Amino acid sequence: MLKNTLTMAFLILAVSIAGAQDKYFTKTGKINFFSKAPLEDNEGKNKTVTAVLDSRSGAVQFAVQMKGFEFEKQLMQQHFNENYVESNKYPKGEFRGNITNNSEINYGKDGTYNAKVKGKMTIHGVTKDVESVGTVKVDGGKLDVNSSFNVLISDYNIKIPAVVKDKVSNTIKVEVDCKLDPFK
Amino acid sequence: MYTEKTPDVVNKNPDVASDVKGLLAAFDSDTTSASKTYLNKIVEVTGNVKRIDTSGAVVLGEEGSASEVVIGLDRRHMKDHQQLKVGFPGTLQGVCSGYSKGGGDDLLANLGTTVELRSAGVKNKKK
Repeated sequence: MLKNTLTMAFLILAVSIAGAQDKYFTKTGKINFFSKAPLEDNEGKNKTVTAVLDSRSGAVQFAVQMKGFEFEKQLMQQHFNENYVESNKYPKGEFRGNITNNSEINYGKDGTYNAKVKGKMTIHGVTKDVESVGTVKVDGGKLDVNSSFNVLISDYNIKIPAVVKDKVSNTIKVEVDCKLDPFK
Repeated sequence: MYTEKTPDVVNKNPDVASDVKGLLAAFDSDTTSASKTYLNKIVEVTGNVKRIDTSGAVVLGEEGSASEVVIGLDRRHMKDHQQLKVGFPGTLQGVCSGYSKGGGDDLLANLGTTVELRSAGVKNKKK
């Protein structure tokens, strides 16, 4: 009887530990941004975003190579790297923050949970406080993290020349879609 | 001129070719030299397919190692991953867009060295 109880207790503990994976990661996350200006719409896509989420603390971190953004138009790709984000000088963008309502997310149970995120985003060498909302979808031990928010590029000291101000908006819509695997 | 599309580099002659091990070792040993050789260049890279993200990315590397080459597929090559199989070799070509190294005390510290390619696709397609 005692042996059975101990065995059951051990199994419950083992299952609990297995279901309580701490860290999740991806190196193939997606960040897209959209610029909607009077004369032109532009879209940049990055498919090699690195992200880590610590489910225990709610800490999250994203890193993106600015040269990893792809554009359909050649000249936009060139201007983005050389004139706007100056990717030779500032090669990476980064977000470090926390899910402030992390206790409301059950990482051991499949479902889609609302997430409030707060932290610091660095682009073009400028760091700003950012708050956003998104979702964390728990699915079979993996996470799908999504968020959408607007960024004012003037906040990051990115200057758009007057000659193209009708082609590049100061407000950029950013969409994040990262599918995270357990980090072993 | 402003409407000119970004070129498809997948079937161009590469500026430099390497296997995964050599590419990662280059950045591990001398990032300045490796950056001159690879960054912004058309790179052909061959290695073991470790993970496939069907929404547009392939990871080359060895099981048991956190260091990897991460490759974003070009919009014209989004289905190229169908020619690859996890655990088998693959050769892809794209533009080297950056690297990062593990270490430090942040959340990304244990992710090893990562070299990234964008605008990529599978080379030597069977027709």
